[in-house]
Amino acid sequence: MTSDAVISVQALRKSYADLEAVKGIDFEVLSGEVFGLLGPNGAGKTSTVEILEGLRPRSSGEARVLGFDPDRQKQQLKDRIGVCLQATNLPAKIRVHEAMELFASFYTRSLSSEKLLQRLQLWDKRAAAYETLSGGQKQRLALAMALVNDPQLLFLDEPTTGLDPQIRLEIHNLIEEMRSEGRTVLLTTHYIEEAERLCNRVAIMDEGKIVAMGTPRELQQQSHSQSRIQIVCAQQLESLETPQWPDAISSAVEDHGRTLTVYSTRPARTLFEIMKWVDQQGLQLEDIHLKKPTLEDVFVELTGKHLRD
Amino acid sequence: MKAYLELIKIDIKLAMRQRVVIFFNYLFPLVFFFAMSSALKARSTPGSAAYVLTMSLVLGILGSGLFGAGVRAIQEREMNILRRYKVTPITSGPLLAASMVTGWVIFMPSIVMLLAISHYWNYMPWPDHMIVLLIFVSIALVSFRAIGLVIASVANTMQEGTILVQLLYFPMLLLSGATIPASAFGYKVKILSDFIPSTYLVKGVNRLLMSHEDSGIVWLSAGALVITAIVGWTVGMKLFRWEKEEKIKGSAKLWVAAVLAPFLIIGLWEARNEKPAQPDRGVNQRPPAVKMAPPANAK
Repeated sequence: MTSDAVISVQALRKSYADLEAVKGIDFEVLSGEVFGLLGPNGAGKTSTVEILEGLRPRSSGEARVLGFDPDRQKQQLKDRIGVCLQATNLPAKIRVHEAMELFASFYTRSLSSEKLLQRLQLWDKRAAAYETLSGGQKQRLALAMALVNDPQLLFLDEPTTGLDPQIRLEIHNLIEEMRSEGRTVLLTTHYIEEAERLCNRVAIMDEGKIVAMGTPRELQQQSHSQSRIQIVCAQQLESLETPQWPDAISSAVEDHGRTLTVYSTRPARTLFEIMKWVDQQGLQLEDIHLKKPTLEDVFVELTGKHLRD
Repeated sequence: MKAYLELIKIDIKLAMRQRVVIFFNYLFPLVFFFAMSSALKARSTPGSAAYVLTMSLVLGILGSGLFGAGVRAIQEREMNILRRYKVTPITSGPLLAASMVTGWVIFMPSIVMLLAISHYWNYMPWPDHMIVLLIFVSIALVSFRAIGLVIASVANTMQEGTILVQLLYFPMLLLSGATIPASAFGYKVKILSDFIPSTYLVKGVNRLLMSHEDSGIVWLSAGALVITAIVGWTVGMKLFRWEKEEKIKGSAKLWVAAVLAPFLIIGLWEARNEKPAQPDRGVNQRPPAVKMAPPANAK
C-alpha cells in the first residue's frame, strides 16, 4: 500500500450465489485525487464501491479505506466518509433543512447545514418537502448530505445518471470544487465525458475485472485507435489528386467535395503534410478538426462493447 | 443520544404530516367509537360503554402495531429510504426506538380522548386504576408494534408483508373478543382465542375498565405482552434489513412464531386448566350500576 493511498484494494472478489460480480481486482486511490471507475452496467463498479463503503461484505481479498477494514470497522469508517448513492430516497414529507439536521446528528462531527445548503444552492429550498424537489435538486441535496460530516473521502456512485445535461454540468462543477478542496473522490460513471473531465485517474471495469487503468490521457495514448483529421476548404477537392499522406490509414473526400477526412496513427505529422499540401494547392482553409481517440474508443477497443450497452 | 432524539423528533413530525396517520389514529377511532356507541346504545346500556371503548382501543392498538409499524417499515425499505441511513454510522437500534416512541406519542392522545368521550358522552365511570390502564395500554402498544417490526423484518416484499399483516390482524381482531363477544364463541373457538395475543389485550383492558380490583389476568397479560415486546425488539434488531435486495430465507418467517411464543404458552396453560370459560365479565357482563353516572338530562 502506497503511503498516501486512501483506498487500497487487493485481489478483491465478490460473489452473489453463482454470479461472480467482482473477479479479483487491485487498485489504489491516492489522497486528493478523483479516481473514476468506468464501465457499463453490470461491470461490478457498484459492488466494488459498496464493499469499500462498508455496505456489503467482500467474498475474498483485502481492502483498506482510510486505514479501516470496511468489513470489520464499519461504524468508524462510515463516520469518516461521505456517500452519494446511485439509488436512494428520503421520506416524501421531510424538509430539506430537516434532512440535513437529521443526518448531521448521526456523525461525530458535522458542518453547518446552512453553509452547505447555501453552497449547493438549496438555501431557498430549505423549507421545501423532499417530494417537491426536482431531480437536480434532489441530487444536490444528496451531495450536501454526503458532505455533512466534512468527509476526507467521498464516494459518488453514478451521481449524474438520469439527469439532464445542464444539471449534470452543475454536478460536475461541484465535483471539481471538491477536488480543489483536496478531498479524495471515488466516482463511478458510465459517462465518458464525466470521467475525462473530472478524473485524475480512471480504471476501466468490464465483467468484474479492471481491463485498463491510468490517467485519461495515458489511456488514450495507449489506444491503437487512430486520430481523425478533418479539413474543410472553400474549393472543391474532388478534382485534385490527393497524395499518400504519411502514417495515414485512410483518406476520403466527403460532404459535397469540400471536406477531406484522414485517419492517422501519427496525427501531428500527417496534419503537417496536409497543411503543406493545402498551401501548395492554393486552397482556402475554412475549418479544421483533430479528434483524438476518446475513452469510449479505448473502452470499445479493450472490451468490444460500448459503455452504455 | 443525539441521533435517537433527532430520529424521534423527525419521525413524529413526519407522522403528523401524513393525513393517513391522522385519519387512522384520531378520526377513524372516533367514527368507529360513535358508530358502535350508537349501535350498542352505549349511553343507556350499562356495560356497553366499556365494551365500545375496549373495541376502539384494541382496533387502534392493532392498527398502530401491525399497519403503522410493520407496513411503514417495509415501505421505507422498498422505497430505498433505509438504504440512505445504511451509509451513515447509525445502527438499526435508533430507527426501531424512534418507531416505538413515535407510535406511542401519536396514539396516547387518542386513548385519552376516547376515555374522556366514554366518560362524558357514554357516562362510563372513570377506571379505578387509570395509571395502570395507561401503562397496560402502553405496553400493549409497544408489544404490537414489536410484532409489526418483526413482520417487516421477515417480509421480503410489500405484498408479502401485507399478507402477513392481514393474516394476523383479522384473527386478532375477530377472535380476541374485541369485536365478537367471547361469550358467543364455541368451546373450540374459545380455546383458539386463548392463543391469540390480542385476547390478553382485551382481557386486560376490560378488567381495568370494569373491575375495581386488580386481577391476575392483568398481570399475566401484561407479562406476556412485555415478553413479546422484548422478543419482538430483539428479533427485529437481529433480522433488520436496510435494503430490498437483501432477501431473507423462508425459514426466517418462523421468527414470527417465536414472538408469539408467550401466548402459545399461556394458551396451552389456559387450555390445560380449562380456563377458556373463565368469566370474562368485561366483555359480557354489566358493571355495577352504582358506578354509572346518570345522564345529565336524564329524567
